[in-house]
Amino acid sequence: MRLRTFSYFFREAFISFARNRWMSLASIGAVASALIIFGSFLLISVNFDHILKDVESQVEITAYLKDSVDTGSIARLNTEISSISGVKQIKFVSKEAALEEFKQQVGKELLEGIDNPLPNSFRIKVEKPQDVARVAGEIQKLQGIEEVKYGKGVVEKLFKIIYWIRILGVAIMAVFAAVSIFIISNTIRLTVFARRREINIMKYIGATDWFVRWPFLLEGMMLGFIGSAIAIGILAGGYSYLYNIVKLNVPMISLIPINEFYEYALGFLAIGMFIGAFGSSFSIRRFLHV
Amino acid sequence: MIETYGVTKIYPGGLVALRDINIKISRGEFVFIVGPSGAGKSTFIKLLFREELPTRGQIFFNGKNITRMKNREVPLLRRRIGIVFQDFRLLPEKSAYENVAFAMEVTEASSREIKKRVPYVLEKVGLAHKASAKPSELSGGEQQRVALARALVNNPDVLVADEPTGNLDPDTSWEIMKLLNDINKRGTTVVVATHARELVDGMRKRVLQLDKGVLVRDEERGVYRNEA
Repeated sequence: MRLRTFSYFFREAFISFARNRWMSLASIGAVASALIIFGSFLLISVNFDHILKDVESQVEITAYLKDSVDTGSIARLNTEISSISGVKQIKFVSKEAALEEFKQQVGKELLEGIDNPLPNSFRIKVEKPQDVARVAGEIQKLQGIEEVKYGKGVVEKLFKIIYWIRILGVAIMAVFAAVSIFIISNTIRLTVFARRREINIMKYIGATDWFVRWPFLLEGMMLGFIGSAIAIGILAGGYSYLYNIVKLNVPMISLIPINEFYEYALGFLAIGMFIGAFGSSFSIRRFLHV
Repeated sequence: MIETYGVTKIYPGGLVALRDINIKISRGEFVFIVGPSGAGKSTFIKLLFREELPTRGQIFFNGKNITRMKNREVPLLRRRIGIVFQDFRLLPEKSAYENVAFAMEVTEASSREIKKRVPYVLEKVGLAHKASAKPSELSGGEQQRVALARALVNNPDVLVADEPTGNLDPDTSWEIMKLLNDINKRGTTVVVATHARELVDGMRKRVLQLDKGVLVRDEERGVYRNEA
């Protein structure tokens, strides 16, 4: 393709953009709002995911030992537990250490003069949160273990929640992508309709379909690009505002810092342009058959 | 150069626009296609540049069967055919020059070629002095000259005109006819569909007469209707 032909395509796209100023602005606005809603959801779900991962990684198994277990057996248990697949970390907490910890939590005075009721225990972290239940089960079977505890039920519930959030996320993304395509394709349809005579003439004088199509594709891509750029700006502004509020007021919730989203921003621009191109090719097809 | 064999066109709904048309048009000819409205003239023109496909029969252009042509080859066919319509079909926001240049831009001609060729054809149709005028600033005759220039700019093998004088007064119509004749004299085949009796009678060219989709007469140096 000649360079001048390409510059012709761009010129045409801009001309039609300027000619249909209000329609173009309306569709940019529509695309931007669709992408903002879509993006907000994305940010929420990604952050939810992140928070849940955080929670998951804090899920640990505590294995309480029978009082009868002696030092040798503790060492044996330590090796045995470590060799269970999926175990990441194991830490022995002696009766005394557990009491110290407990004292710090409830206050020394209260426990003064009481016999140490706490057993020896292991605290185990696993590689993958999904493994918690299985690893706990295996530990339970070992000799000398009194009781195994972990956030039973909680872990499973968290998984269900994450699962449904992901499903819902994908569904909402699909809906909003379809809505955006519909809106852009309608805008381009208006442009195409306004220029159908021109398209007709172009076809009569021997223009190829692609020659006719390119300016409209570029126009659609431009609308999508600008719409998504606006959406990115608004989302970035809104998100960093919220991020700072959460950081100041709810420090235990760790959100993903804004600068980790720049790949998403690139993806958004790509999605916007794709939606634009798709929408316009959708509406131009019917006018090409002359 | 144009040959049709048993061409029949039936539109969806059953209207028979053309019935078993067999025609040969040679290079360099000037041919009128005449007949009342609804006789099938426009359909015949549309078949030539493949806006429509025949229901039955074959059409050859420069030895190539255009009824079997792939869709992506159609633009190349149309670049060999200059088309002129009754309603001119110029782009209203473009100047006369730009309208003509556009037909070359579409073929991805270089700007050097365009700058050379466009003024030349505008000169040929007598509109060099109005090159920068928009269609709205031109008379009907002048607009049709722009359309002629556009049809000629890619040096087509054949110029096809559907009622080119239908929107023009008699004097202007004559000027357009003379222009078409000049174009023909310089070697371009010309096919004109019309029901303008005086023009046809005055030119004495080959006449193909259609009536209700049937070719009823093919006469060299003919008039509009000899039995009238």
